[in-house]
Amino acid sequence: MDLTKDDVRNLAKAINLDIPEGDLNTVALRLSSLIEMMDQLEKDLGDELDNVDPIPPVYPREEF
Amino acid sequence: MNETELAYMSIAEQAKLIEKKELSPVDLIQTYLDRIEKWDGVLHSWITVCADQALKQAKQAEADIAKGNYKGPLHGIPFGAKDQITTGDVPTTMASIIMPDFGEGMTATAVSNLENAGAILLGKNNMHEFGKGSSVNFHHGEPKNPWNIEREPSHSSTGSGVSVSAGLVSTSLGEDTGGSIRGPAWANGVVGIRPTFGRVSRYGGIMYAWTQDTIAPLTRTVADNALVLQAIAGYDEKDPLSSDRPVPNYADTFTKDLKGVKLGLVREMSVGQELHPDVEKMLNKTLDVLRSLGATVEEVSLPKVKYAIPLQLLTSDPDCAAVYLRKYLRPYWDKFDVGTRTRLAAAALVPATIYNRAMRGRALVRNQVFDALKKYDALITLMNFEPPLKIEDSVEKLDKKEDLATRMYKGRRICTYPFSVANVPAMSVPSGYTDEDVPMSFQIAAKPFDEAMMYRIGHAFEQATEWHTRHPDLEKTLGPALKSAAE
Repeated sequence: MDLTKDDVRNLAKAINLDIPEGDLNTVALRLSSLIEMMDQLEKDLGDELDNVDPIPPVYPREEF
Repeated sequence: MNETELAYMSIAEQAKLIEKKELSPVDLIQTYLDRIEKWDGVLHSWITVCADQALKQAKQAEADIAKGNYKGPLHGIPFGAKDQITTGDVPTTMASIIMPDFGEGMTATAVSNLENAGAILLGKNNMHEFGKGSSVNFHHGEPKNPWNIEREPSHSSTGSGVSVSAGLVSTSLGEDTGGSIRGPAWANGVVGIRPTFGRVSRYGGIMYAWTQDTIAPLTRTVADNALVLQAIAGYDEKDPLSSDRPVPNYADTFTKDLKGVKLGLVREMSVGQELHPDVEKMLNKTLDVLRSLGATVEEVSLPKVKYAIPLQLLTSDPDCAAVYLRKYLRPYWDKFDVGTRTRLAAAALVPATIYNRAMRGRALVRNQVFDALKKYDALITLMNFEPPLKIEDSVEKLDKKEDLATRMYKGRRICTYPFSVANVPAMSVPSGYTDEDVPMSFQIAAKPFDEAMMYRIGHAFEQATEWHTRHPDLEKTLGPALKSAAE
């Protein structure tokens, strides 16, 4: 996925963040890369992701 | 014993001399202050050095020990702290210029524990801005690798790794979310541990990746690392996620051999990858040593670890951004380094649905790591597939998507992030040097709260090798830069 500068500008507006023009492209590249990697993960493991709870940071049981 | 020998001694060796009153903590502190004065203009490993305070405390320690009130092996030992770990009146800058002190008078529990054991705060170590590991420009000078200033000193707890390696302090507390202790330990040739999440209180660390952040020591030996972790580990009522499991005596678990120890060599983080020839040679020698000590080593495949990098960046980074957005990003955008602010902004824009899916993905990675650890006592990996990069190659290029994606999948992160997202302990142990005398390390990971097993393996390896006895010759590696700066 290739997010444009306008896409990022609009997303940032939703969280009241004004990203200067000079940084928009870099933010777009970073976010696009992350979402692209997640897309791949969904393709590979999507069903498994549906069937597991999000990770708790601590260990609820004694056994690992 | 000359000044250089004293500076590079292990804590255990320094402590023996202090206990026998053959070394004054004042002399030890002064030795490090002199070396900082001489070398840190090139190394940039410190942001704040509290010389007067440290000398005053050293004199008190000297007096207490003379009266027979020796507290134990950390009494009179100087330590540094990554500058995102709060230290009372000593400022905590986060390596930022937004404000001079983010600490608000807090003192991290890990720092208090060390001070209660008699250790003396020498100062605050330089780091990547806000500990995000993406700094392009450093507000307090760019830390340099004491082995070779043209090679990267790695990311985040950088000054901690540099200062311990260069003999500018006995130990330093770092912070590891994705590899920020283990990375600088690897690049600078020292030992660095990421403990189990919850083993060490997070209280007083200014860090917001609430499912992954850990505080722990960087040291010159494995035994020293165990000694410092021993002092800072344990339940803390100020950190609701700290564990009340008992802390074992780590030194009691040291053995000369590794008979009966079963090790799993993770293919995706070692032999299954394209390795630099020096790294491949080092790995083979390391495995030979482990086998010669009696351990069995089998290859194991953990295919899901390849997802660890996006999983961390889509979970821990948004957790941090959730705090930074309101407090700092909106009002102080221009005061951030460009690498830090664009990374945090991208994280702030990750949709909640993707965040949730990534947290589920972390559970899958964790489960696969756990399954392997049911079969093996510990997992073995490389710390990187290549030696520390030239600095210009290690800095994130921010204008091409290909560069970002490549960097995310290659390099140190793929070796450190999997154990971070799985919340298991892991440790970087020096295990060789390239032909150009640049350090390389391997990594040991273990079951949750089984730091003792990692220390046992690391210590036995260390006793069978001599890597930990090598230290950078600063006259050779930094002398020319120092001379050039003076001209």
